[in-house]
Amino acid sequence: MLKAAVISNNIEGIENMFISNPKINYTLLEITANFNPDFADYDVLLVPNGSDNIALFKIRDKIAQFLNEGKVMFCFDGWFTNWVPGNKWIIDNNHKTIDIRYHVVNDKYKLFEGIDLDKFNFSHGISGWWACGFIETTQPESVLLADTWNRPIIIIDEHSTRGIMVLTASGPMADLLFGTNSEGQTSWDEIGRFYQKLVDFVVARNKIVIL
Amino acid sequence: MNKKIGLLFNGVWSQYTFAKAPKYVNIFELIYVYDITPKYLSQFDALIIPFQSNQKAIVEHKDAILSFLANGKKIFMEGDAAEELFDAKWEDRPVNNYWWVTNPDNPPIAVTDYSHPVYNGLMPRHACWHTHGVYTKVPQSAQIIQQTPNGEIITWQHDILGGTVLATTLDPIVEHGIQQITHLDNYTDKLIYWLCGVQPEGKFEFVLSDFGITV
Repeated sequence: MLKAAVISNNIEGIENMFISNPKINYTLLEITANFNPDFADYDVLLVPNGSDNIALFKIRDKIAQFLNEGKVMFCFDGWFTNWVPGNKWIIDNNHKTIDIRYHVVNDKYKLFEGIDLDKFNFSHGISGWWACGFIETTQPESVLLADTWNRPIIIIDEHSTRGIMVLTASGPMADLLFGTNSEGQTSWDEIGRFYQKLVDFVVARNKIVIL
Repeated sequence: MNKKIGLLFNGVWSQYTFAKAPKYVNIFELIYVYDITPKYLSQFDALIIPFQSNQKAIVEHKDAILSFLANGKKIFMEGDAAEELFDAKWEDRPVNNYWWVTNPDNPPIAVTDYSHPVYNGLMPRHACWHTHGVYTKVPQSAQIIQQTPNGEIITWQHDILGGTVLATTLDPIVEHGIQQITHLDNYTDKLIYWLCGVQPEGKFEFVLSDFGITV
């Protein structure tokens, strides 16, 4: 199974968002005043929505080293400090949420195959419910999903480091289906299905055997 | 002007964008949760414990927070909360942030005491957007300000040790920093005036140079 380190700043409910299953084992690494984690045992580094970007900046060299070992990071947060190589997250309030629609740009790994993009666009009839802001990237070929104004929303960056960074513009994601298939039809269910596509992508890339 | 309100900060982007907005930046100081000391807190008129806080880390500084209250000051707490802080029990509930589309006559808050200074003059849509959990127990003789349709407590106020705690499971600070809901200046600006006597003015803005920063 994949071994994932989840960076935790103890926000309410985080322990329920990443529950280990046959595909992926999650370990929550809890931030403290002198946070100095060891990532050696992990394949995936996971930065959830609502993370502590002060602590992440302090360990940015460790994160860069982890990625340059060819490993994978999922970041589903709005990173206002400069710890993500080659990519910057920005937010403005110059565009109305009612006008937000996403489109697939470069889906090299067919991650959106079988995914209902309309559920990313609307939840209970409301648009602009998911991601916040957008990503300024030095790797334009890495844009998987963009918004109405062609601003990058999901990035699959294989060139800023020797590893892979999967970045959303503060688009929350978690192992919401807990590694099983659900017939649930809400937008959060679709986000959970897309997350499983990300996990399956890394499982295949890393040639992991699921027992 | 010295900053009037300390915002306990868990490194979360929406806590950051709120405090850095030009209309609030001279009022608020971000207090990183690992930097809390009694002396540091004492310089502020009021504290805010926002949604998405590290409750575990904050409870480690319970004595400093109670000392702050004992100086006759105010604390506003939003979203979720640690039971150990103020003897109130918070419980999670599903977040309904779409009721205004699917069921506009049944908001998650059924009762609001509009006589409270923060709520006085607010339209109902400015006093209720969505909530993060409920309180199933609050200090005895706490003033109940908002409740759900089935009587669970959303907002309460209590005088503790000579200071005042106003707690709600609404999330005005963090949601205002997110800017998906555009009417929150009504609530936050009345809250800020109640907390420290300063009336913010102007529109909420993000500043480009606040992103991609080195700390």
